[in-house]
Amino acid sequence: MAAKRNSSLNESAGRELVINRIFDAPRELVWNAWTEPEHLMRWWGPKDFTSPACKIDLRVGGKYLFCMRSPEGREFWSTGVYREIVEPERLVWTDSFADEKGNPVPASHYGMPGDWPEEMLVTITFEERDGKTRMTLRHVGLPPEMGEMAEAGWNGSLDKLAETLEKEKSI
Amino acid sequence: MALDQLSVTLAAIADPTRRAILERLADGETTVGELARPFEMSLPAISKHLKVLEQAGLIERGRDAQWRPCRIAAGPLKEVADWVGRYRRHWEERLDRLDEYLRELQNRESQNRQPKTKEKKHGRKKK
Repeated sequence: MAAKRNSSLNESAGRELVINRIFDAPRELVWNAWTEPEHLMRWWGPKDFTSPACKIDLRVGGKYLFCMRSPEGREFWSTGVYREIVEPERLVWTDSFADEKGNPVPASHYGMPGDWPEEMLVTITFEERDGKTRMTLRHVGLPPEMGEMAEAGWNGSLDKLAETLEKEKSI
Repeated sequence: MALDQLSVTLAAIADPTRRAILERLADGETTVGELARPFEMSLPAISKHLKVLEQAGLIERGRDAQWRPCRIAAGPLKEVADWVGRYRRHWEERLDRLDEYLRELQNRESQNRQPKTKEKKHGRKKK
């Protein structure tokens, strides 16, 4: 297993999701996988999702439009603009929920509960070491409840608590 | 509808006092008076918080008219746990796929050419 995983909701920032990964691939290749549609469409979306469309205008201020399709056929579009492009080290872009034409829509459009901002910010950095690439992804602007839960130290324990309670309930 | 329930639950736990109450109740059921003790707050104020929690389905109150002990309820919490974890999980799963894809790309490359020659886009295999 080459990919190391580690993620946390940063407590001080409250509303920031940080994910670290090490990919067993040179940095240029990882960079391309994030910035070229034909690459990105091969992996964009959670397990069992597909990505049927992708547009990327890779310049500062340039727009992108990503799409992922769930196994049930539901499509989720997102859009934004690139804020910083330092090939192959650092990429920063804004992130909004969108419709298929690329118009930003509120999170409620997709039935997402919680207080989502209109625009989030994603920053990824790549460091190469011994032919491997360490990537850090920061996603800023998640709904406050997520941060609150993390601050309360509930992030890990909540699952367990809920499980225990469910068992108790069935007694 | 589940999503509406979730919004209600999220609003209920967005308050530090209410989270503290839930944490206390995770240790076992207790009375309102007992719950109020650690807080610098009047009983009516605590009762108000309990009402919010009860309406969100996060706590249950006993029927005993005098004591009405509070108990934490499981269902909505599970939903919140799922919700908090979902966004991170989505990213993790996406990056799993990226990891796989990068491996696939490199395998293909090493099959297509002998020890590293320069980038050339000929001879790409389909499939």
